[in-house]
Amino acid sequence: MLEIPGRKEICNKFREGGGRVAAVMPIHYPRELFRAFGVLPIEVWGPPGMDISHSAAHLQPYVCSMVHNMLAFLKTGGLDCADFIIVPHACDSLQGLGSLLVDFVRPPQPVFPLYMPRGRRPEDVEFFAQEFRKLYDWLSNLTGRRPSDEQLMESILMEERADKALAKLYDLRTEVSLSVRDFYRVVRTRQYFPAEEFVSFVERVIDEYSGNPPDGVPVIMSGIVPEPMEVLDEIQNLGGIVVGDDFACCGRRVYPAGSGEDPFIRMAWRIVHGPPDVTRGDLIEERFEHLMDKVKKTGAAGMIFYTVKFCEPELFDLPDMRRRLKEAGIPSVHVEVDINDPLSHQTITRIGAFLEVLI
Amino acid sequence: MGRISAIGIDVGSTTAKIVGVDEGGELVWKYIEPAHPRVEEQVDRFLRKLEEENGPIDGIPIVATGYGRNLVHQATRKVTEITCHALGVFRQLGHGGTLIDIGGQDSKVIVIGPSGEVVDFAMNDKCAAGTGRFLENTAGRLMVKLDEMGQLALSSEEEVPISSTCTVFAESEIISMIAHGVRVEPILKGLHRSLVKRVVAMVRSVGLVPPLMLSGGVVKNPAIRKMIEEETGQKVTMPEHPQFMGAYGAALIALRGKRRTNA
Ligand code: SF4
Repeated sequence: MLEIPGRKEICNKFREGGGRVAAVMPIHYPRELFRAFGVLPIEVWGPPGMDISHSAAHLQPYVCSMVHNMLAFLKTGGLDCADFIIVPHACDSLQGLGSLLVDFVRPPQPVFPLYMPRGRRPEDVEFFAQEFRKLYDWLSNLTGRRPSDEQLMESILMEERADKALAKLYDLRTEVSLSVRDFYRVVRTRQYFPAEEFVSFVERVIDEYSGNPPDGVPVIMSGIVPEPMEVLDEIQNLGGIVVGDDFACCGRRVYPAGSGEDPFIRMAWRIVHGPPDVTRGDLIEERFEHLMDKVKKTGAAGMIFYTVKFCEPELFDLPDMRRRLKEAGIPSVHVEVDINDPLSHQTITRIGAFLEVLI
Repeated sequence: MGRISAIGIDVGSTTAKIVGVDEGGELVWKYIEPAHPRVEEQVDRFLRKLEEENGPIDGIPIVATGYGRNLVHQATRKVTEITCHALGVFRQLGHGGTLIDIGGQDSKVIVIGPSGEVVDFAMNDKCAAGTGRFLENTAGRLMVKLDEMGQLALSSEEEVPISSTCTVFAESEIISMIAHGVRVEPILKGLHRSLVKRVVAMVRSVGLVPPLMLSGGVVKNPAIRKMIEEETGQKVTMPEHPQFMGAYGAALIALRGKRRTNA
């Protein structure tokens, strides 16, 4: 398996270099803004395998395991190395978590709830830019820094380069010999590597692993997060290869480069015009077209919807999305997981049966 | 070599089955036992029994399916129960359609295409409601033999609705009904209805493509079949050996593999 430093290692290294760290909950936020303040955003997607008795006092059992785990992680000291906590309002559960942190749990770190626009209109960009200005002031108060527009722009350009590297990695999926799991381990370093390290790491991987990808029937995965990551090994063992994804933590955040001189508008525009995402209010039509486009580009034979149990935004669109795909001749399967459960036999059987259908 | 050309083994959560097919794919030998936790030993025993009754099995391909398929080290290949059930039923009934398979601990609905291929499927594999376990649990509580439950349910004109779909809650609901003097038969009827509604909801989730077919251990229960017909408005057909369709399909896949190798 490919050697990749973990979050803790990167966090410690960054702090040793005099930087500060923000723990950021899913899904969208302006990385570049944090970096301009010398703060490294490290994303928290769960993590899986937590003991949710630590979160059960605050959250109902039907709140997704992602949010349960974030709270359990915080309460068991998992975020101790972070100086700030950012909670974007991606869904009701995350908004609930944001309020809980601010009003009841009151962790030692300051918490910033980041509100999201729900659309792609110019006023959505303006709304988001306004949120970023508030975040700028908040970080400014806490760090004593006030990065100039030039510094912000420099940071923006670096993150745009990192997003371009991520897009290139996806484009070259069928030209690198990485296993399905290793490919996603590399993709997911975008969640915690500083952008400059991510760019050089991706370049190195593309270079070192150029060659034929593992054999298999091509599929696309959609959902929030591919956890437990063993599922990716299983897909490969069962004769499949993931050639593209629409995971909220991965492919749904390959943001385009922006333009224009106003750094706040540019940061906001990039996210608002990223791949369609239900948590940002994009319509099912846009998501469907996006998925069909991915299918055409990658030659995928089917889609695996791999969702987190009780994830309302994802589940809301799902029946209609699967119906549309079916009508377009694209078979799909739906697997629901709790990120605290080990990979179950039932999940493997569902995916295995689906791949048998495609083969 | 004897008359067996390929072998299919289905290690389910409640029962383990083995099937032998001849060169033409006809089911010529079968055997079933409650599933044993030591799968490998049980499969060894199955294979010895098959040899005793049919002659040596060296070189005969074996395909394993079912919940415990990965533990069958004697198998040359492992295939999911979805694909195997579809193939077995298609071969026995000679047509596609929608198959409902209700097993001891899971149930599945498979839409089978005109050539026996799986078009779509849904599984209930995490919750005992909608599976044989739902009936088994309550049979014990009502002191009724499992294989008499269906007849008893059908003997009642009256039906008491069971509102809980969860096995554990349904059991508490039943206890409270008994405490209120409700007769066993109407409770049984309501219980069967509850299971069937759950299964039919799965059928609706994939979209019913007629004809409707039924397999799995629970189909021996006449009330299940009747109520599925009532709830879907479709006549139900059943293969000759409904409990063996997974193993049969596995044997057919083994046979197909053998033909390809020999070709
Ligand atoms: S998994 Fe779904 S419900 Fe949970 S935090 Fe993510 S978007 Fe929200």
